[in-house]
Amino acid sequence: MSTQATETEAIKRSIMVDCPIEHAFATFTERIHDWWPLGKHSIDAYESGSPAETVVFQGGGGGQIYERTKNGEELKWADVIAYEPPHRFVLAWNPSRKQDRPQTVIEVTFTEEGGKTRVDLEHRGWERLGERAAEARQGYSEGWEHVLASYAETATS
Amino acid sequence: MDALGDRTRRAIFEQLRSGPRAVGEIADELPVSRPAVSQHLRVLKEAGLVTERRNGTRRLYRLDPDGLGELRDYFDDFWNEALAAFKAAAEDERRKG
Repeated sequence: MSTQATETEAIKRSIMVDCPIEHAFATFTERIHDWWPLGKHSIDAYESGSPAETVVFQGGGGGQIYERTKNGEELKWADVIAYEPPHRFVLAWNPSRKQDRPQTVIEVTFTEEGGKTRVDLEHRGWERLGERAAEARQGYSEGWEHVLASYAETATS
Repeated sequence: MDALGDRTRRAIFEQLRSGPRAVGEIADELPVSRPAVSQHLRVLKEAGLVTERRNGTRRLYRLDPDGLGELRDYFDDFWNEALAAFKAAAEDERRKG
């Protein structure tokens, strides 16, 4: 198995939800604060160890997703680049204080199936991070020389 | 001395690939002391390869997602959990509009 392919392959998940499509879409978007695991995934949780205050999904053109931290800061997670309720939305995703980092893409589609709703999520664009990772790795390999030299100095003194 | 240091760091690295760990947990699986592991972690942190965060009273070390493209692996797991939470919220009768 090629490691390279795995690293950049899209993540795909499908889930059946026993509710009407409009409700499924609204739960994912305007009610994201009701279910998103902020304790596991939020910038505040990463930095402070406890969940962010909330997360807000602003739909529509030019919309964003952002978290509000316990200190009242608003930190962007994503730009909403397509918003077609109740069928589909697409996000350019980078939940980070480092907004110069490349964004990955999350596309979520909602399909009616016999009174229930199938939700398909695709998280792709990992190769964008890969390009940056390659650059970063280059930086690190130079960094390592410095670090190892300093380590050797300490270890042998 | 260098070679040993290098090999130990690589072993620490491999452990962190499977998830965040505390210093003690790392040291338990290696033939080196806890202070030695801390020293190696400091070097790895300075090189931007590992980050540290506090979890309650514990200090956990993990690979830096910015540096290593570990982000995909993280979300591979994360979406399972997030979508399960989403399903539960969407199917919660009391909240259905």
